[in-house]
Amino acid sequence: MLLPSKFGLYALTLELSAWSAGALLDSQSDSTLLWYLVLHGAASLLLASAAILLLPPAFARPRRPVLLLMAGCSFAVPIFGFVGVLAGIVILRTYRYREKIAPFESTQLPEFDPHQHTTGGFRQSGLRSFLGNTKAPMASRLGALVALQYVSGRVSSPLLRDVLTDPSEDIRLLAYGMLDNQEKRINQAIDEELRSLAEGVKLEGEAQPGPQTLAAVRRLSDLYWELIYQEMVQGDLRTHAVAESSRYCDIVLRHAPDDAAINLRQGRLLHALNQLEKAEAAYFRALGLGLPSTRVLPYLAELRFDQGDFVGARYLMSELSQWSSLPRLRPVIEYWKAQ
Amino acid sequence: MSFPTAPEADIALLLEGTFPYVSGGVSSWVNQIVRAYPEYSFALIFLGSRREDYKDFKYELPANVVHFEEHFLYDDLASNEKPPPRTGNREAFAAAAKLHEKFLPGTPQGDAMQAFKEVAHAMMPGGKLTLDDFLHSERAWEIVCERYRKYCTDPSFVDFFWTVRIMHTPLWKLAGVAHRLPKVKVLHSISTGYAGFLGALIQQTRGTPLILSEHGIYTKERKIDLFKSEWIRDNRNVFQRDPSELSYFRQMWIHFFEWLGRFCYDAADPIIALYEQNRLRQVADGALSERTFNIPNGINLQRFAPLRALRPAAVPPVLCLIGRVVPIKDIKTFIRAMRRVVNHLPEAEGWIAGPEDEDPSYAQDCRNLVHSLGLQDHVKFLGFQKIENLMPKIGLTILSSISEALPLVILEGYAAGVPTISTDVGSCRQLIEGLESEDRALGVSGAVVNIADPQALADAAIALLRDEARWHAASQAGIARVERYYTDVLMFGLYRDVYEKALARSAQGS
Repeated sequence: MLLPSKFGLYALTLELSAWSAGALLDSQSDSTLLWYLVLHGAASLLLASAAILLLPPAFARPRRPVLLLMAGCSFAVPIFGFVGVLAGIVILRTYRYREKIAPFESTQLPEFDPHQHTTGGFRQSGLRSFLGNTKAPMASRLGALVALQYVSGRVSSPLLRDVLTDPSEDIRLLAYGMLDNQEKRINQAIDEELRSLAEGVKLEGEAQPGPQTLAAVRRLSDLYWELIYQEMVQGDLRTHAVAESSRYCDIVLRHAPDDAAINLRQGRLLHALNQLEKAEAAYFRALGLGLPSTRVLPYLAELRFDQGDFVGARYLMSELSQWSSLPRLRPVIEYWKAQ
Repeated sequence: MSFPTAPEADIALLLEGTFPYVSGGVSSWVNQIVRAYPEYSFALIFLGSRREDYKDFKYELPANVVHFEEHFLYDDLASNEKPPPRTGNREAFAAAAKLHEKFLPGTPQGDAMQAFKEVAHAMMPGGKLTLDDFLHSERAWEIVCERYRKYCTDPSFVDFFWTVRIMHTPLWKLAGVAHRLPKVKVLHSISTGYAGFLGALIQQTRGTPLILSEHGIYTKERKIDLFKSEWIRDNRNVFQRDPSELSYFRQMWIHFFEWLGRFCYDAADPIIALYEQNRLRQVADGALSERTFNIPNGINLQRFAPLRALRPAAVPPVLCLIGRVVPIKDIKTFIRAMRRVVNHLPEAEGWIAGPEDEDPSYAQDCRNLVHSLGLQDHVKFLGFQKIENLMPKIGLTILSSISEALPLVILEGYAAGVPTISTDVGSCRQLIEGLESEDRALGVSGAVVNIADPQALADAAIALLRDEARWHAASQAGIARVERYYTDVLMFGLYRDVYEKALARSAQGS
C-alpha cells in the first residue's frame, strides 16, 4: 500500500505544480504551456502507475496498454481525467468484491454423450469421436473426413480405417478412397525403388554395391518404415513390412555401420520383431554414436519393460525425467516416478 | 466391323461401358436377358468414353439383335478448324444460366427439373442451344466467366473453363443420338448417367416408355471414381482452402452426375433395383417410390449344377477371385489377405481370374504388390477364364469389392457348390446369411467381412478351409439358397411382365 500512496502523492504534487506554474509565470508564454504539459504528463504517468497497483490483478493486464490508457485519460482530460481514473479504480475494486460474494447456482447435470467424451490429451481424439458419431449430420461428417486429407498419414490413417465400417456408404467409400491414395503413393515409390535397385545391382554388381544400389536400399528401408509409421499396414502385412525394412537396414548398416539414425531404426524394427537382445544392442550402438538420449531412452525403457525388467525401466524413466523436452512422454514419466 | 442395322425394333437397350465390349456381371446379365426373349427384336445402343478404350466384342451378338450402334462420348473433342465468330442465342443461354441458378442447393428440385427438360430439348438438333454456340459463342463465354467469378472457389480459370466444356459436350452428342435413333417401342436403360440421360431425352421427345434397371447405383460409382481420382486438380493454396470442402471441380462433377441421375429417374417407369437397399438409395436420389421395385438376378442352374460332380473329394485350398482387375474390386485387399493365408496354410493358392485390359496400370500395381509381398508362387493372374473350368478346382470364391450390387459370381459359385467369402457390400450379406427367416434357416453359405480388411478376409477363409464339416455345410446352404431364390426362370418371368406392360403402354401411346 506504501508504493501506490507514494506515487499518488507525487502525482498530486506534480499536478498542482503544473497548474501553479501557469499562475506564477507569465501566463501568455509558450514556455509556460510547455512547462505545464511536461509536468501534467509526468503527473498523469505517476497517477497511472499508482492506479495500476491498486487495480485487481485481472484488470491490470496487459500491463503497458492499461498503464498508457489511464495515463492518456488523465493527460487528455485535465482534472476530470484524473478524477475519472480514481473513480474507475474504486468501482472496479468494489465490483470485484461483489462478484466474489455471489451465491452458487445449481445447474442440471448434462446428459452423458459418449461422443463428447475426450479420450486423451491428443487433438485427433475429438475428431475420432466426431467421425464415429453416426448421429452427427452427414454433411459435417463428410467435411470432417475431407479435412483429414491435410493431416499427416500417421494421424489420419487409423481414423480413416475406423470409419471403413460406417453404416453410411458415402463415408465408407470416401474413407476408402483416401486411404487407398495414401497407400498407393508409398507403394508406387516402393515399386520405383525396387526397379532402381534391380538396375543398380545390374550395373554395379551384388558383391560390392555401388552408390545407386545403396541409395535405393536406404530408400526402400525408409519406405517400408513409412508404411509402418503411418499405420498403413496391420497384422501379417505389418510383420512383412518390418522384416523388409529391417532387411534393407541391415544392408545399409553393413556399408555404413556408424549411421546413428539407421542404428536406432534397426533397433526399433528388431524390437517390433521381438528380437529383444539384438534390438538392445542396436539401441546402445545408436547411443554410442552420439544420438541424444531423449531419442533412444524411451525405446530402451520400453524394451526393458518387454523384457520384464521393471526396475531397469523405472531407472531409465527417472533418467528421462531430467529432460524437459519430452512433453508427450511427461505423463508416462510421472507415472513411473510415482510408483 | 459391320453391325446389323434396322429401321425399327421392339426394345432399345441403352448400354454405357458394358455389353458387348466389356465382360463382367452386368454384361452377362444383358446377354442373358436378350437371349431369354427371342420373340422380341432388340436394338443395342452402346455408349463408351473413347474408341481406343474398347477393343473387340467380348460377347457374340444374339440373333435377335437387329440393330447395333456405338457412340464414343469423348472422341473428337478437339477440332483443328478456326471457328467463325458468333454471338449465340441470347434467349437459350439465358435459360441455361437460369437453370444453373436453380441447380444451386436450396431451390426446389421440381423447378429445376422443369427448366432442365426445357434446356435439354433446346439441345436437340434444330434447337436453339447448339454445340457450336456452346463452344464458341460470346454468350457462352460470358456465362462461363460470370459463373467462375460468382461461384468457383478454385483459382484456376483455365481448369474451370475446360471442366465446363468437357463436362457438357457429350450431352449434345447424346441429343444427336436421341434424334437419329430408329423407331423403337420400348427403351430399357441399364444405368442412369449418360445412358439414362439419353433414355430420358428420347422418352420426353417421343413419348416412348423408359424402363430403368440399375445394377450398381451409377451416381454412387461415379462418386467412388471422383473421390479417388487424382486427375481432378485442386489449385487452392493454403489461404484459399477450406479444409472441409472437396475441390470445386470434384463437386462440379458429382453434381453433374447427380442431376443426370435425377433427370433419368424423372422419366423412367418402372425403376428396377436388384435388392431393397439399392431401391431405397434410388428413392433417396430422387426416384418416385411407387415406380420402384426389386427383381434379383438369377442364374441358369443347368449350366452349373453338373460341375458339383466334378469336384475332388478334398476341398482344394484355392481362393479364387473372379472379376475384372479394376480398383472397385479391390484386388489389392485380396492379395494382402493372401499374405496371411499363406503364412497359415502354406499350400494355399490365390487365383485372380478376370480380364486385366480395362485398367492396365491398376493391374500392374496388383502384380507389383504380389511381388513386394513375396507371393509370386502363391498368387496367379489367370486372365479371363471360363467359369465352368474354374469352379471344380477352387475351394472358395472371394469377393473383396468395395462396391457391388448382387454379384452373379457368388450365385454361380453356389450353383457349383462353392461357398464364398465376401465384403459387406451390396446384397452380399443377404446372399450369404439369407434375407427373411425362411432364407436364413437355410444356413450360412460362407462369411461376410468388412471392406479393406485383409486380416479378417484371410481369417474367415482360413477358418472355412480348415474345417471340412463347416465348408460342406456352407456349400449345401449355398446350393439350397440359389435353387430357391436366384434362378433365371424367376427373373425372366418378372422381366417378361415388365416388357409386356411397357409394350402395351407403348401401343396405347402410338
